[in-house]
Amino acid sequence: MSADPASVEPTPDAPSAPPKSESVLRRRFRRFRSIRRGWFSFIVLFSLYGLSFFSHLLVSEKALVVKYDGELHFPAFGNFHEAKEFGQRRIGEANYRLLDRTLAEDDDPDTWVLMPIYEFGPIENLLEELDGPPPHKPSAQHWLGTDNRGRDVFSRLVYGFWYSLTFGLGVVGISYLLGVAVGSVFGFFGGRVDIYGQRLVEIWASLPFLYTVMIISNILQPSLGLLVFLVAIFSWVGISFYMRGEFYREKARDYVSAAIAQGESRTSIMFSHILPNALTPIISFAPFALVGAMNSIVALDFLGLGLPAPTPSWGELMSQGLDSLTAGDYHLVVSPIGALLLTLLMVVFIGEAIREAFDPKVFSRLR
Amino acid sequence: MGAYFARRALLMIPTFLGITLLVFTITRFVPGGPVDQMIMQVRMGGAGGEAGGSASGLESSVDIPEAALASLKEHYHLDKSIVHAYFLWLGDLVTLDLGKSFKYNVPVLELITSRFPVSMYFGLIGFLLAYCVCIPLGVFKAIRHTSRFDLTSSFVVFLGYSIPGWALGLLLLLLFGAELDWFPLGGFRSPNWEELSFAGRVADQLEHTFLPVLAYAAGSFATLTILMKNSLMENLGQDYVRTAFAKGLPSNKVIFVHALRNSLIPICTGLGHALGLIMAGSYLIEKVFNIDGIGYLGFSSIIDRDYAVVMGILVINTALILTGNILSDVLYVVFDPRIRFK
Repeated sequence: MSADPASVEPTPDAPSAPPKSESVLRRRFRRFRSIRRGWFSFIVLFSLYGLSFFSHLLVSEKALVVKYDGELHFPAFGNFHEAKEFGQRRIGEANYRLLDRTLAEDDDPDTWVLMPIYEFGPIENLLEELDGPPPHKPSAQHWLGTDNRGRDVFSRLVYGFWYSLTFGLGVVGISYLLGVAVGSVFGFFGGRVDIYGQRLVEIWASLPFLYTVMIISNILQPSLGLLVFLVAIFSWVGISFYMRGEFYREKARDYVSAAIAQGESRTSIMFSHILPNALTPIISFAPFALVGAMNSIVALDFLGLGLPAPTPSWGELMSQGLDSLTAGDYHLVVSPIGALLLTLLMVVFIGEAIREAFDPKVFSRLR
Repeated sequence: MGAYFARRALLMIPTFLGITLLVFTITRFVPGGPVDQMIMQVRMGGAGGEAGGSASGLESSVDIPEAALASLKEHYHLDKSIVHAYFLWLGDLVTLDLGKSFKYNVPVLELITSRFPVSMYFGLIGFLLAYCVCIPLGVFKAIRHTSRFDLTSSFVVFLGYSIPGWALGLLLLLLFGAELDWFPLGGFRSPNWEELSFAGRVADQLEHTFLPVLAYAAGSFATLTILMKNSLMENLGQDYVRTAFAKGLPSNKVIFVHALRNSLIPICTGLGHALGLIMAGSYLIEKVFNIDGIGYLGFSSIIDRDYAVVMGILVINTALILTGNILSDVLYVVFDPRIRFK
């Protein structure tokens, strides 16, 4: 293993303990960073996710700043302005894009519009500005074309990215909490708790997942929170099996006997002694759980059981693509699948790097 | 060992009862069930011009006599408590009577037997294809670990893991179906199947099989390949392999006779779960390829609240999966005599 020259003293042959030992977590993190593909994916994915929280400032039909008759307005920050305020003849909210173009013609320094980088919103109907029936093919203006209701596909993908990743992270978070709690209780107490508990978990695990989610989201009006909850309560079971096994193995170790002999409380043994050691395998599993969760939201949206229209989602675009396959509107299939593939590929790379960092398997071979 | 599996088999019973009772209870609380639908139908049909929007309270229905409503409820056992109704349903199940579909008005068992061969056909071929590709690929990757072939094929494996089977199917359908027109745009067979000659039928069936089977196989491609590779790598590091090399056996013999046999154990036990494939029509893949299989039946039965069908599919599915789990453990013992269950 290559040592970091800044932190480790150059004492090559001295077996004596180094002045400051590196913690396990730090060492793992350093190893994770050294795997370029995973670390690069990690930075790109989470930078994009961070940016996507500000997508209403980057990709939107609402102007960031409007200066009109010497007054400043900030429509993108939640201020509603009727079209007639800016001298436009239409009902409802002003169309800032058109305003930008009309104002650009007369070089008045006192009236101008600052639009976001990409000036089309995810649920904005563009039919009045575009010729011909939707969906429109990709063009310089609409990078990935429009969907079958004349909404900009690129814009919908951007918002769908936030939605998918938030969903995935939420599901992984909740299912991990549940799985760790249940699994560690079964593993730690064992005996009767374990035997009866396992039967209940088995029943729960054998419920057909998509099936039950379909029933419930068919009755209740789905929202992001409800969907996260629904998928999470079905995905914790695998985690609990892992945790149970880890607890069983760890509690037989000497350090646990030592802690018991020292008179430590049960909670202390469970949480501060065993838990940190038992978490390793499920941490390296987390990115793969994220892949599963993101796939399930895309599938639910594809089936029309996800968030209600007009929420921008990747799965909904794919189902539009399936419907218009013969019409040759390939951008409706290729764009969302491409977005999904790229995102998940980054997650898989991160997962591979984390697994490598946490659990390096060195295969000794002869030839 | 026999006692262990007998106990496992007996434990299937409470699990089975638990699952069916849970879903049975859910179906009782879902609005829009058969009685609600019947009332709607009567209202729409009987009242004709009357606006159907005023579906406020079902009990205050104007044109359904109480007696008819009561008999309807009795027919679906809705007048009884959940537990009572559940036991009635269970009693029918024991005599292999799964009830009648509310939508198609045919026995559920008949409905399921007419659909499952289609799903099983794609599922099993996809499963076999996955095994036929993944085992050699995994073995080759393990032998040539860190070679260029290993690294490039790893990328393909990552891609395969990142795209769900049905989305890959959609992409394939777009490329080879819509754009290149090499394969038909879905369906199980062509509409003119009956008129085709034997050779024509074979060709037609193969054309309709290729893309969906790829989509099915893609689902397990990545995990299976990696499992095979890691399993063989682990065995190659074991002492018995070292011994075999040390006594001068040729490396082909060491790898393919000694190491490979042991590393196939975790792969073979997966065969037990193949039992579930009989009913494992993925609705997503069936939707993409427009196949009228068990997945589609299950999905539409939920949307239509056709509960006899919902419960029927659940029963068969659960039984197959639970049996498959045990079969998997039996296979462990069969393939690996070191393993003992107690």
